[in-house]
Amino acid sequence: MTEANNIFKDVPCTFCGCLCDDLIIEVDGDRIVKNTNGCPISKERFVGHTENRCLQPTVNGNTVTLEKAVERAVELIASSKRPLIYGLSSTENDAQREAYRLAELARGVVDNTTSVCHGPTILGAQESGEAAASLAEVRHRSDLVIYWGANPAAAHPRHIPHYIRQPGEYIKDPKQDRKIWLVDIRATTTARMADRFIRIEPGTDLEVLQTLRALIRGNKLDATEVGGINITELEEIAAAMKSAKYGTLFFGLGLTQSWGRHRNIDAAIRLIQDLNAHTKWGMMPMRGHYNVSGANKTSTWVTGYPYAVDFARGYPRFQPGEYTAVDMLARGEADVLLNIAADPVAHFPRAAVSHLMKIPVINIDPKINMTSQVAEVNIPAAIAGIECDGAATRMDGLPLYLRKIIEPPQGVIPDRDILRMMIKSLEKVMK
Amino acid sequence: MTEHLVLKNGVVFDPMNDVDGEVMDICVSNGKIVEKVPGNAKVIDLKGSTVMAGGVDPHSHILGSKLNVARLTSPEVNRYHPYPATRKTRSGVAGIIPSSYATGYLYSAMGYTTVVEPALPATKALGAWEEIEDIPGLDIGMLPLFCNSMISFKYIEEGDISGLAAYIAWTLKKVGGLGVKVVNPGGTYAWAYGKNVCGLDDEVPEWDVTPRTIMTGLSDAVQKLGLPHQMHFHPTNLGKPGNVYTTMQQLDALKGTKPSGKKKETVHLTHMAFDCLGVVEEGMANWKDVASGGLTFADYYNKNKHFTTDLGQITFGQSMTMTGDGPFQHSLYLMTGGKAKWSNIPVDVELPGGAGIVPFTFEPKSSANAVQWVGSLEFALSVKDLWRLFLSTDHPNGGPFMKYPLLMSWLMSKKQRDLWLEKVHKFASERSTLAEIEREYTLNDIAITTRAAPAKILGVEKTKGHLGIGADADIAVYGFNPEKTDLAKNPDLILKYFTQTKFTFKGGQQISKKGVIAKQLPSRVISVHPELNEDLSRRIDRELEEMMSKWFSHSFSNYPVPKRYREHLEMPTVIDATSIQA
Repeated sequence: MTEANNIFKDVPCTFCGCLCDDLIIEVDGDRIVKNTNGCPISKERFVGHTENRCLQPTVNGNTVTLEKAVERAVELIASSKRPLIYGLSSTENDAQREAYRLAELARGVVDNTTSVCHGPTILGAQESGEAAASLAEVRHRSDLVIYWGANPAAAHPRHIPHYIRQPGEYIKDPKQDRKIWLVDIRATTTARMADRFIRIEPGTDLEVLQTLRALIRGNKLDATEVGGINITELEEIAAAMKSAKYGTLFFGLGLTQSWGRHRNIDAAIRLIQDLNAHTKWGMMPMRGHYNVSGANKTSTWVTGYPYAVDFARGYPRFQPGEYTAVDMLARGEADVLLNIAADPVAHFPRAAVSHLMKIPVINIDPKINMTSQVAEVNIPAAIAGIECDGAATRMDGLPLYLRKIIEPPQGVIPDRDILRMMIKSLEKVMK
Repeated sequence: MTEHLVLKNGVVFDPMNDVDGEVMDICVSNGKIVEKVPGNAKVIDLKGSTVMAGGVDPHSHILGSKLNVARLTSPEVNRYHPYPATRKTRSGVAGIIPSSYATGYLYSAMGYTTVVEPALPATKALGAWEEIEDIPGLDIGMLPLFCNSMISFKYIEEGDISGLAAYIAWTLKKVGGLGVKVVNPGGTYAWAYGKNVCGLDDEVPEWDVTPRTIMTGLSDAVQKLGLPHQMHFHPTNLGKPGNVYTTMQQLDALKGTKPSGKKKETVHLTHMAFDCLGVVEEGMANWKDVASGGLTFADYYNKNKHFTTDLGQITFGQSMTMTGDGPFQHSLYLMTGGKAKWSNIPVDVELPGGAGIVPFTFEPKSSANAVQWVGSLEFALSVKDLWRLFLSTDHPNGGPFMKYPLLMSWLMSKKQRDLWLEKVHKFASERSTLAEIEREYTLNDIAITTRAAPAKILGVEKTKGHLGIGADADIAVYGFNPEKTDLAKNPDLILKYFTQTKFTFKGGQQISKKGVIAKQLPSRVISVHPELNEDLSRRIDRELEEMMSKWFSHSFSNYPVPKRYREHLEMPTVIDATSIQA
């Protein structure tokens, strides 16, 4: 970090899994006034960091001290039979590590947003392994890049311009030497940035992937088209994938959350593994929240498992579908929810939200979100990477140190410190 | 806080100080072993117990991205091994790849107090430091990888050993490393092209370097810097029948490196069980003809003194193979008929690792596995000088570190070996001489190969691996009386006593008792900071900024691990490397 005249260089952006760390942030007094290099979303996140803030802790809508809010939160957790802790993907690693401690102490369940985004990716990898890619490697070597069911133009705006359409050591001309393809069910804005758009019928990802696998293995198929694509075109695609020098598959929620789910990912993994018998291929999920990869990583080293972890028996157990937040809520099992750095009311299915409305909710977030509206306890937090430091993990596993650029609002502290207060207080209650 | 302690009447094995089973008192003050303590010191009577320095394990994969990928992709290996929380300790899982807290506790329970992670991609070091925060009770070191990095290649291509040494020095300081790890030099890089290397002079794609120039360049640079630990070396051709011959060729190629200090050894060949497979007479280099390479390699070891080694013993049952040797891992996956879960972390200028991960079960009835099992045992029982050897399973590759007691039982008890030779494929007997070997490791031998020798090999013998004055008070007390217990005749007792110490002390504090963690101490990190002269330092800053800015996908200034993650854990040893000319 260089900090001169209130200008911070090489600042990592804490929006999406790209974690671009070349931002130049200018500060004037207690406000961020400029974000150079960031995408429009990044600019909004930094320059607009004071907007829509939750500034005071509240219990049932009444402003209280932080201590009172923590006290009420701990009462709720201590008297709960089946506490659920959820979120964690938009905060830094230390906060996540404290959340596991809290879950263990409360003998509750802790889950991160993976369960509603790339959970199937992890299940696929548990079936078949994972031939991963890395962003630097893609830039230097990859001559064929395929996005599948992902729309980086909207969700990861700098993914293509910052990492992919850049020259690398062995790809001198990123337009000529590297081809970008998009596979999706409709021509998204990313289609305009791609060299080729391959439209498939909704819900046919698994068939198309398996067909490509069969073709790459040299099998003849008794079909004229699969997923709306002519078999001749599929044969040509398979041949191109096989003859690429270094291929990379980036995939998004269009693959993980559509018909087939983890089966899709399993098929994609096996496709990439098969291709490695002929040439070099890797794959990478387009992780959304900036530190959802970090949530998987911290959860994995502390508990042994990447998400959906239950401590009811005093040790971690892993069972997606059972200890995942949506399922816990939809079954009516959780009797209190501690939500940290996520917005389940906005994103969960109706059955889950309808139970969530019936149970006490503790919400820790820098901003006012839909979950704040239903939470009994709201505790404001500092924004990691802007108002407090920490570490996060890029979508390819690279850890980066997040900066504290400016002071948080008066009386507002980082997630990790709020959780430490709760742990300290809960330890006393549990004795 | 001043704490004084006397451990009285224990039967002490401290080979570094020539103590072989003597009844002695050990005085501890402020975390160190001292001559004497004040009269008010706490006294613990250890009459009838065995006392050794805390165990030192220089090669165990206990942290980092490949371990987390393994945990993430294989929850089933931990599912039946819960590790419950207590009032003093955290919960976790304790299968073959235990979670972080459990890793620390399990090592403490076994009497180990120093552990080195031998494969750190330097750019991911920040994550490693965070993990160490959650692995309690140990002194931990990390060995960054330098063998498949384009930056290393650039200096090696130019024959610029000063530049290479400066790059190593810069990295060790910026990320807190202890030494230099080399894995399949050139081969993991070639894997980016779907290729591998096998011969010493094979071409590496795009670069004018070879396995020979990479390994000799790096070992020269390590000596030039005067690092306490010699180059930690995983050779090419890992896991291939007949590779004992190419391994010896590679060790021969490294003879040219001149030791810079008093220590004669310039290379540490790691996990020899995977590097020293033989073939039957007139056989081909394939699994059908595989034979123990143990005797061949022991003969080479006895004659050539420029290297040290560790076993990487396979222990049968489920294991998790993970190496920075991407092409090897892919070949292992192909060996399973493409059925295994194969994970790959790409080789990358930024993350020069190229790790692969494949869950693997070593079957006693598999001829190949039985031969690999017998080879390292035959070696360990045929070498003369145990001071150049330490016990390991290359956790979790050959099996988890929790199986060290089983490995000790094979070495200490002929009876145990005979029992196992019955259980495993007959090739273990037919293609090795193990059945005829009478040698049994003594407790002194065990103390050498699990504490004293590994401490010396790591270059931390001033404070680790012994119980002399000035050593760290890391002490393992085992609950048996060596004068009255015939371990060789009762191998089950070896497992019993070495799985759980009676007490483990770390820095003079009792951290476990009969396997129960009494106190959770934060781990510390041992590292080496070589100081360069101003000219070289300026030069390397400039050159690395240029290369990293061009080759990395993140900012140069975000490479170092910030102080806030390090200063409360790190115990750096500063070494003077200012004599290296720019």
